[in-house]
Amino acid sequence: MKKTVLLFLVFVNFAYGYSYDDLLLRAQASIFPKILLLDKKIGDKLIDGRVIYTIVYEKNDYDTALEINKFIDANYNGHFNGYTYKINLVEFSDLSSATRASVIYSLNSDRYIEKVADFAKDKGIVAFSYDIKNLKAGLLFSLVLEKSTVLYMNKENLYIQKIDFVDSLLRMVKFIDKENS
Amino acid sequence: MSIKNGVINSLSTKIVTSIGVVSVLITLVIFSVSEKITKDAFSGVELEKADLIARTIEPLIAINIYLDMPENIAQLAQQLMENRYILSVKVLDDKNKIVNEVESGEYQKDIEDSFVVEKILNQPNSAKQIGKLVLVYSNKRYVELVDKYTNMTILLLLALAVLFILYGLYIKKMLAPLGQIAKLLKHYSPDKEVDIPFLSQNNEIGLISNALNSMQQKILQYSKKQKNINHYLEEKVNEKTLELREQLYIDTLTELPNRFSLLNDIFKSREGALLVINIDDFKEINDFFGHVAGDNILKKFSNRLKSMFKNNEHIRLKRLSGDEFALLFMQKPPLEDFIKSAEKLINDVEKMIFIYKKNEISIRITIGGAYQIERALEKADIALKSAKRERKSFLLYDEKLNIEELYKDNMEWVRKLKKAIEQDMIVPYFQPIFDNKSEEIASYECLIRLVESNGNVVSPYLFLTIAKKSRVYSELTRIMIEKSCQHFENIDCDFSVNLSVDDILNDEIVNEIKQKIKKYSVENKIIFEILESEGIENYEEVSLFISEMKKLGCRIAIDDFGSGYSNFEHLLKLDIDYIKIDGTLIKNLDKDANAQVVVETIVDFANRLNILTVAEFVHNEAVLKRVKELKVNRSQGFFLGIPEANTDIHMLRHADSKIILK
Repeated sequence: MKKTVLLFLVFVNFAYGYSYDDLLLRAQASIFPKILLLDKKIGDKLIDGRVIYTIVYEKNDYDTALEINKFIDANYNGHFNGYTYKINLVEFSDLSSATRASVIYSLNSDRYIEKVADFAKDKGIVAFSYDIKNLKAGLLFSLVLEKSTVLYMNKENLYIQKIDFVDSLLRMVKFIDKENS
Repeated sequence: MSIKNGVINSLSTKIVTSIGVVSVLITLVIFSVSEKITKDAFSGVELEKADLIARTIEPLIAINIYLDMPENIAQLAQQLMENRYILSVKVLDDKNKIVNEVESGEYQKDIEDSFVVEKILNQPNSAKQIGKLVLVYSNKRYVELVDKYTNMTILLLLALAVLFILYGLYIKKMLAPLGQIAKLLKHYSPDKEVDIPFLSQNNEIGLISNALNSMQQKILQYSKKQKNINHYLEEKVNEKTLELREQLYIDTLTELPNRFSLLNDIFKSREGALLVINIDDFKEINDFFGHVAGDNILKKFSNRLKSMFKNNEHIRLKRLSGDEFALLFMQKPPLEDFIKSAEKLINDVEKMIFIYKKNEISIRITIGGAYQIERALEKADIALKSAKRERKSFLLYDEKLNIEELYKDNMEWVRKLKKAIEQDMIVPYFQPIFDNKSEEIASYECLIRLVESNGNVVSPYLFLTIAKKSRVYSELTRIMIEKSCQHFENIDCDFSVNLSVDDILNDEIVNEIKQKIKKYSVENKIIFEILESEGIENYEEVSLFISEMKKLGCRIAIDDFGSGYSNFEHLLKLDIDYIKIDGTLIKNLDKDANAQVVVETIVDFANRLNILTVAEFVHNEAVLKRVKELKVNRSQGFFLGIPEANTDIHMLRHADSKIILK
């Protein structure tokens, strides 16, 4: 029975994708670009003079990714506080070392989160996660709406040399690691 | 300690008070400055705290504004408000719109003295301003600190005050020995040795005590020496005083008691008599033999007098002045004995011969005696002068002579004369002298008169003799010369002025006469009348004067000729122009045959020498007639004309009388 339920859930996932909190998505779409700019080394991460905001998703979450794209464009209108940006929608399966990204935002995935984490580490870029749980897999930031908006950060990735956030950001985030959540 | 107006000002009190005042002032200044600094520091610390809080929280607030997380800002604000000193937190966005504002319950109460910190919020990792943080920090802590500081200060001041009191007591105790030493020395006397305390102290007090002790020893020694010296000096002073006293009463030349001694003895005596002895013409001995000889004779004379009276203990011999001695009879002898003593002394002295350098010198004396002890010296002196004047060798003072009154009268006349000179009351009166042949006025004699303020004319017989004895006489001569010459300056008539021998001997008068004669051009009108009796003794000087005046053109008359011992030999030598025959010969000429013989002889003698004769005192017609018969050239007298203040009157009267005679 248990197997049946599990299989059902997997099937549903495959068939219909993950369910996302729209409010959370909007909050993340609104805040993450701002956090990106809190990196003192943002200049090193520009590609062709632009910020490439890469959103990785499962095939079924394309619409969600697109929604996010639209929301960011609507909010930022092509510029992150002076920097022109380009949103790059990439499926998890397509993510490779060739993928261009100044920052990466990962939607949910059962299989590729670690791949995203590795990608980010390799590139030395900030990796945002929709789901806080993914931080344990190696992603850097996530945001949760509790009584107030709470930013979470993976403590283990704090020392990535290519990323240098302003101190105040580090003082306001909540740190998590593999052992603690 | 010093004492002023009875108040003792302690040195230790002064020291402590001055240090206390200075210290209080310094402390006040230090505390005022330190309070200001401390308060500023406390304020700065509190402000710094508020600023630190604001700076600490500012990035978080900024990032929350940036990330648009107002609930986080509110949370942060609430966290801040947990600090009891934070009164309010206000966050504003870039449009000054309040994002969050929290205030404590004490906000309104303490807002005025609170610290307000404002921070501009910039976008993280950018310079873009995104808001503002206003933090109001309570001054409660500051007030607490200031109160604590004030309490500490008061405690410190109290501690200092206690310290000063203790210090003052210590200084007082330290300087107390000085007071004790001063008290001990207050009644110090060089005669009495005192035990000076604190000699063993090894400090400044000990030094002072030792120094005082040493000084005391020296003073004692000095005092002993001084006493010996004083004793010696007192003895010397007494000796010298005795010596000086003796000198005061002893004449150094003759070693006889002097005038002071005489006065002293007279003052002490109740009865007695006095003889004052004067050596006649002693000046001549001095002039001829010299003062050494004079002193020698005085010594010898005094020695002889001493030996004469040495056996009579009641007679004291004194020397009064140069040539004056006195014999004071301490017991009044009978008057006859007293007079005999004087006469015997005169005779004895006349027999004395003094030898000086082989010269035999004899002297004569004149004695004045007083037979009363009261004012004996003055009386004997008066008697002596009277004796001299009367050319007697001895005269006893006689109350009946009223000599004192005469002296007073003389002094009164001298005073009157001085006043008359000052007030120009001395004037010449003019008496005409007629030529017996032509019966015309030949000349005028200028006679002195004193016209008193009431117009009374005083005759010269009352004052001229007295004036001659005083210094005013020369002044009278000056006035008479001046006024007479001035009167006859413009009158074509001869006039005569009387001159005494004293005037002729006075160079100043002679010079002035010459000046006045020239000034008024009366050389050929003036005739000087010189008294025959006075001129004899000073023949040479008179002769010189006559010679000088004759050279000027003046003429000379011998006045009162025949009154004295007329010396025809002298007259022959003097180049005179007139002889005025004395009035005593003329006034009885009509009756006295002897007078007629004398006048005839004088006229004959004068005619032979071409000297004109003038008869004075022609007081009636019989005398005038006789004068003319004896061929006297000129006549003068009350019968012919009395002295008048103006010559015009005579001229008018004479004109009238001539008409009547004719």
